[in-house]
Amino acid sequence: MAFRTIVAAAAISLLGGVAAQAELLDDIKEKGELSCGTLNYLPGVGFLNDKGEWSGFNVDFCKAAAAAILGDPGKAKMVALTGPQKFPALDSGEIDILARSVTQTVSRETTLGYDFIGPNHMTGQGFMVPKDSGVTSVDDLDGATICVLGGTVTERYMADYFAFRGMTFTPVAADGSDQMYPMYFDGRCDAVTQEPPYMAIRRLRSGEAENHVILDDIISKSFEAPVIREGSPKLREVLQWMHYGMITAEEMGITQANVEEMVETSKDPNVRRFLGVDGEVGEGLGVSNDWMVNVIKAVGNYGEFYDRNLGKNSPLGVERGMNALWRDGGVLTAPGWQ
Amino acid sequence: MRPVARFYRSVSRPGTVAQALFLVLVVALIASVTIVAQGNLDRLSVKSGYDFLWERAPFELGESLIDYSAGDTYFRAYLVGVLNTLKVAILGIVLSTVLGLFIALGQLSPSVVVARMCRLYIETARNVPLLMQLIFWYALMTGGLPRVKQALSPVEGVYLSNRGLVLPALELGGQGWVLFAALVLGLLLSAALLLWKRRSGVTGGALLLALALLCAPVLVTFLATGASVSLDVPELKGFNFRGGMTVSPEFLAVLLGLTLYTAAFNAEVIRGGIMGVPKGQTEAATALGLKRGKIMRLVVIPQAMRIIIPPMSNNYLNLTKESSLAVAIGYPEVVRVATVTLAETSQSIECISIIMLVFLSISLTTSLLMNWYNARAEVKSR
Repeated sequence: MAFRTIVAAAAISLLGGVAAQAELLDDIKEKGELSCGTLNYLPGVGFLNDKGEWSGFNVDFCKAAAAAILGDPGKAKMVALTGPQKFPALDSGEIDILARSVTQTVSRETTLGYDFIGPNHMTGQGFMVPKDSGVTSVDDLDGATICVLGGTVTERYMADYFAFRGMTFTPVAADGSDQMYPMYFDGRCDAVTQEPPYMAIRRLRSGEAENHVILDDIISKSFEAPVIREGSPKLREVLQWMHYGMITAEEMGITQANVEEMVETSKDPNVRRFLGVDGEVGEGLGVSNDWMVNVIKAVGNYGEFYDRNLGKNSPLGVERGMNALWRDGGVLTAPGWQ
Repeated sequence: MRPVARFYRSVSRPGTVAQALFLVLVVALIASVTIVAQGNLDRLSVKSGYDFLWERAPFELGESLIDYSAGDTYFRAYLVGVLNTLKVAILGIVLSTVLGLFIALGQLSPSVVVARMCRLYIETARNVPLLMQLIFWYALMTGGLPRVKQALSPVEGVYLSNRGLVLPALELGGQGWVLFAALVLGLLLSAALLLWKRRSGVTGGALLLALALLCAPVLVTFLATGASVSLDVPELKGFNFRGGMTVSPEFLAVLLGLTLYTAAFNAEVIRGGIMGVPKGQTEAATALGLKRGKIMRLVVIPQAMRIIIPPMSNNYLNLTKESSLAVAIGYPEVVRVATVTLAETSQSIECISIIMLVFLSISLTTSLLMNWYNARAEVKSR
């Protein structure tokens, strides 16, 4: 509940985080465990099933990070967080990495004192409406009642978008998406707003998917990225290059299935250097030289990572769009590994 | 005894030492918490202070008693939240008192059916957590009421759907606010007259005069300024009803939940008060030939008030504080404003201190009023 969360947040800022701020990469190696804030209710994004197994895009990022730093994806400890809890948990040091589809913005990076990794999932804020409403674009929504997640950046983007065009709307702020979608499907709102992949998940679950359309218009960039606290440059480097590494692996054609074989047999100096067979890239970053091998064994390259959770190999089937490699028409590419 | 020895003796009393030590501990705790918090905030490079209140708030709030839109200051957003909290708290207090009174009288009724029904209501309402009740009423409204296109319309111009209750509104044209000021003036004048009449003990038909005083300022300003009053009837245009006034389902659910929950407690307090009046009073009044209703109104209730008021103040304070649970169903009261502000600014200490200050002020004002009323209702020893 939001009130309790605010109290907790204030208490944390008052009392928590007394431990000295050291380089987090060293702390994680010393602890032998990486704690990762994520969510537990959205299949494909962050989900805890009835057998106690975690899965999803964000969860896989955490597993990859644990594989990169500690050599074992099983050493990632997941912590489920609600929207308003996410930043206080990161501020207080309860979690090392926040991988909860946080939208990267310049103000969050500067005034809140965070470092963003990636971004590793590029989407935007969209709208879903009932098919029989006749709405075909966001500009048809003047005067509408719109369900929105309270305390998220979507509230701000929507208010900016409508005010700039001289349009009005009435927000109905929900405390969480488990509350918001029933309200929308009951007709409390004319439209609901969130990033399209999440709306697709809920539409699929509602059992009346054919009656609702997700509009093509995207009113804002919502580039989602894992977050760490500012002040751990080594951890930031490792995670950022891990993200580049997953893209590089896809470019090089290295997959979960063939990575072992590539280590053994590849003659390509770039591949050998990338996988740590030659050179000391890993040690330069403060991790083991075969760190990318561990990452790829754990979650695969970026394409596998995306398709398994959100893309064509998942029930959601979201197109890769911008999240495809540059050579395939997307925007993903990575600097060289020299 | 010499002064030094006396001082020593008084200090050495264990009570004094313990109290001084306790005071020092409290001060030390506050100081250390402040220092740690300041250090943490600096380390996290989070801004601190209340300057953000004058920055632009980039969010909409839905319903508001004053004009507000995204781009106004955070201060104004907070004001909207406080007014929404007050709106639901004041209405909740009035309605829960009235309902509580009826339930209490129902419990004391000679009819077994009525008494049992009231008992059942009390036991149900006060033994289910309020948060569950709020969520229940809200789910019932959004899921149970028809969609906006199929809104129920019992009377022309009144519509009920899961977007809320839409009613025709009085539109004050031209100098509308002058008219409102005149109405307030009329109210004050007639209240003053009635008070004077009671104090001075003058008898006679002052009611007509009071009515005249109530209406005169409004009529005079209406004719003098050429202000106009029209009825704004809502109609379905596009997505929603345009015009009229809308009572949102969020507000209705919160009001309903708070009223039904608190009324159960109020009913018990009132029943206790009535039963606390000695039976002899009722019997004496019956012997004088008074009817049941009059006995209640003239003899029992005035005496019961003395017992009722202090615990009632408690219930009122609880209702006000519990209105903060409304954030769970998206009613834009002060905690919702604080939550969205927290998400934008990350200044949690400031946000929670504002919530605390708001509820403290409301609660202290309520206490003050109730204490004043209590002092008036107490038996005057002559």
